[in-house]
Amino acid sequence: MSEMIMPIVVLLPIVFGLTIPFVPLKSKKAKMFYVEGIVLVTSILAILMLLNQPTAEFTLFRFTDYLNVSFRLDGVGSVFVGICALLWPLATLYAFEYMEHEEHQPTFFMFYTITFGVSLGIALSQDILSMYVFYELLTMVTLPLIIHSLSREAIHATRKYLYYSLGGAAFAFIGVIFILVYGDTANFTAGGVLDLVALADKKELLTLVFFLCFCGFSVKTAMFPFCEWLPTAGVAPTPVTALLHAVAVVKAGAFACIRVTYYCFGPELVKGTWAQTVLMCLIIFTIVYGCSRAIKETHIKRRLAWSTVSNLSYILFGVILMTPLGLVGALCHMCFHAVMKITSFFCAGAIMHKSHTNYVHELDGMGRKMPFTFIVYTISGLALMGVPGMCGFMSKWALADAALTDGSPLAIAGVVALLISALLTAIYMMTVTVRAFFPGKDFDYSKLDGVKDPTWMMLLPFGLFVIAMIVFGVNAQPFVDFFTNIAMALM
Amino acid sequence: MLILLPILLPIVMGSILLVASFVEHLKKNNDYQAESDQELSKIHLFSVAGLVVSAALAIYVGLQKGMSCTLFYLLEDLPIYFAVDSLSLLFVTFISIVFVLVGIYSCVYMKHEHEEKRFFGFYLIVYGVLVGLDFAGNLVTLYLFYEFMTLTSMPFVLHNGSHESTMASLKYLFYSMCGAYLGLFGIFVLYQYAPSLTFTAGGVMSVLSYNGNTAIMLVAIMCMLIGFGAKAGMFPLHAWLPSAHPVAPSPASAVLSSIIVKCGVLAIIRVVFYIAGPSFIAGTWVQYAWMTLSLLTVFMGSLLAFREPIFKKRLAYSSVSQVSYVLFGLAVLTTTGFEGALLHTVFHAFIKCALFLTAGIFIFKCHITRVSDLQGIGKSMPITLWCFTFASLGLIGIPPTSGFISKWYLALGALQSDIGAFRYVGPAILLVSALLTAGYLLEIVVNGFFPKEGTEIKSYGKEPKAMWIPLMVLAGLTLGLGVLPNGLIEFISTIASSLF
Repeated sequence: MSEMIMPIVVLLPIVFGLTIPFVPLKSKKAKMFYVEGIVLVTSILAILMLLNQPTAEFTLFRFTDYLNVSFRLDGVGSVFVGICALLWPLATLYAFEYMEHEEHQPTFFMFYTITFGVSLGIALSQDILSMYVFYELLTMVTLPLIIHSLSREAIHATRKYLYYSLGGAAFAFIGVIFILVYGDTANFTAGGVLDLVALADKKELLTLVFFLCFCGFSVKTAMFPFCEWLPTAGVAPTPVTALLHAVAVVKAGAFACIRVTYYCFGPELVKGTWAQTVLMCLIIFTIVYGCSRAIKETHIKRRLAWSTVSNLSYILFGVILMTPLGLVGALCHMCFHAVMKITSFFCAGAIMHKSHTNYVHELDGMGRKMPFTFIVYTISGLALMGVPGMCGFMSKWALADAALTDGSPLAIAGVVALLISALLTAIYMMTVTVRAFFPGKDFDYSKLDGVKDPTWMMLLPFGLFVIAMIVFGVNAQPFVDFFTNIAMALM
Repeated sequence: MLILLPILLPIVMGSILLVASFVEHLKKNNDYQAESDQELSKIHLFSVAGLVVSAALAIYVGLQKGMSCTLFYLLEDLPIYFAVDSLSLLFVTFISIVFVLVGIYSCVYMKHEHEEKRFFGFYLIVYGVLVGLDFAGNLVTLYLFYEFMTLTSMPFVLHNGSHESTMASLKYLFYSMCGAYLGLFGIFVLYQYAPSLTFTAGGVMSVLSYNGNTAIMLVAIMCMLIGFGAKAGMFPLHAWLPSAHPVAPSPASAVLSSIIVKCGVLAIIRVVFYIAGPSFIAGTWVQYAWMTLSLLTVFMGSLLAFREPIFKKRLAYSSVSQVSYVLFGLAVLTTTGFEGALLHTVFHAFIKCALFLTAGIFIFKCHITRVSDLQGIGKSMPITLWCFTFASLGLIGIPPTSGFISKWYLALGALQSDIGAFRYVGPAILLVSALLTAGYLLEIVVNGFFPKEGTEIKSYGKEPKAMWIPLMVLAGLTLGLGVLPNGLIEFISTIASSLF
């Protein structure tokens, strides 16, 4: 019966999340404990599930005999579950402090918690239809989080997010239909579900469908030319930008791309076709484009969002290489980028929360007032740049290793793009650090009076993330082994 | 494990100072207060003692040939691995000498800059990182310490906190990172195609290993040359050097210009002679491109130094030019050229350090930064200017100073090699550059001792002991190694003979 735990971790945060605005708890503290309790229990259950690795499937409900929503845990899913389960409680803790002055807190935390369940749903989905259901649901439950402040800007951003996401989902749906019609089974199967011998005459069509489907899912991953929504969505409160727009939502897109490529259409169909070439060109362009926009951008959260655009394409680059090593690199970067980017977003959020500044040029001298925050920001910057000894280096290494093993000119161009992007990362991350600590000799610190480091609720996640970045950086072997096991099952 | 001690000891000691300085900042809420004299002398004792002990340890470890140690594995096939060979001994020795001398000098000099704890903290850490770089036994370890070197030496450039220094430090960072990533590209490619990334005298390549992949491997090696050449100030990534070195406090400029640039050279030596092997690139386009770039830099650096009015900037341009002498010596790929290159590495370290320390004394005592204001300076500070004179003679390459010997070997190396027109063009450019060097350095000596008629000669008083003694030791080394170079030459020729 150990498979019962799967619907529990998905439904628990959704059901209990719905109760958050209605629980008759008076004090603010009690509500905080309630929310954190739900998230923590879910996380613990999710981690127990990962340790248990239930092999059986669980069907939640059926649309028809053939179409159903069902769960099964496998390797790639475990990775995504692990990321969400480890980051959500910390992000919630952080959100308490960040949101303390905001309105509509209960609604906010309701949707924040529901999103957790939906993300786990995506990770645990057994077949492409279930994943698609949760994927659409994710778009819906994250909408209220972006629109939270109800400002004109927020409404504009939400609308943009909605149009991009629905448009993407529509293309993805084409892929879903084709898999349901032509696939031997709708369930995710390592190496793909299409019988290429039987479908030899449909190959061209299926390649086109794959291309559309991949593009559709990659909207959430903000691949060029579908990347504009992500920086715009930066108007959302920082816990949303940090957790959803650097980790859960965007990685759900990357996760869906992995599923579609390796578990539905299969690398064999696409490898060497025009679809791979075109997608790879787009991805390589996004890697450089995102970073260049990040340099140009002076709004600190939008800058980090552009950096996310670029980094997400690192993951897609690994995916589209269509080799086991490529998948290892993609999964590595998926995990490590989650930690790095959530840290830098949290720092940006702490800065905005404490000093009410939004732009990079307003940060001069701030490092002296908020030293811990800026030190953590610097460390996350170094990790993103790929300084050896930090986790960013390991995922870059894995991706470059995969690309050069592949050895095609485009893959080598990808490695060059990775390195150019690393240099650009150094520029947009480190200028902030240097100016924050060294604003110039005659800088007047008195205008920063009252700015100080946040409390333990923000500093605790910082500390844990920094430790994680360094530990993953110096000892990446267990991760790589785990990912290699997953990838080997594909061949 | 002994090998880790000289790396970790200064890093730990430096971190203690940094943490102390950080805590102080938090307590005082950023109102800077100068440290009391008593506290200062404690910091100085702590730092200098730390340096001396680590230097002794480092040299002791350097003498234990063949000692090696694997610290941990980044991945199963990516160990962080240290190993000692003769080349590390050579580098660690001159780095230690310079660091200890400059450390003593800084105790006085840094009085007029603030934040001594931070300075000495990073000073110690940089020393530890440099020792790590010298003892690195494979490319990944080297790259790790190379990045750390950039990051930990950046605070030197930032030290005085002015807008100019902030901009210079960013320039330093971006150029270094650009270089490092070019190097990383090379490492990625070599990891794919080379049989091993562990340093082996003479290179790790066998004909089998590069069969069919020669083109991309050569591109990779060229990328690494340009990338690691950024630290050594080689064209086209040289522009950071004249901006970054002069804005640092003088002792830090001395270290940056005499030691840190040499780490670029060390990285290049490791790549070319310990991974690729000289025979792999001999006669290829890489060799010719490398020679062209280094000769271009030699000439351009001297020319720019010649017309530069700010003293420290002039010295920085001179470093651009001089380090490329070393690179040219390596690029000709002959035993004699290699010996000349290593000799020039060592000699230039001592000489350039002495020159920057002189500039520091002038700033410290007289607040002079421009060359034209140094009229008659020799009257009040004869010792400093004499030391400067000897160091200058060394840099120009006039016998019996050490610079003559290294340049002799460099020219000879070029003439013996089989590189077409470069055989003659190379030495000719070295000669022209030497003339320019004479022009930009001796001007200062002549004006210092024989001021123009009618200039008012100010008296600045004597320089402090802790400043002129290190300077004199360095000038003495310049002269002494010129008169008695045999021990060093023999040592270097054993290294060279193992490589070709």
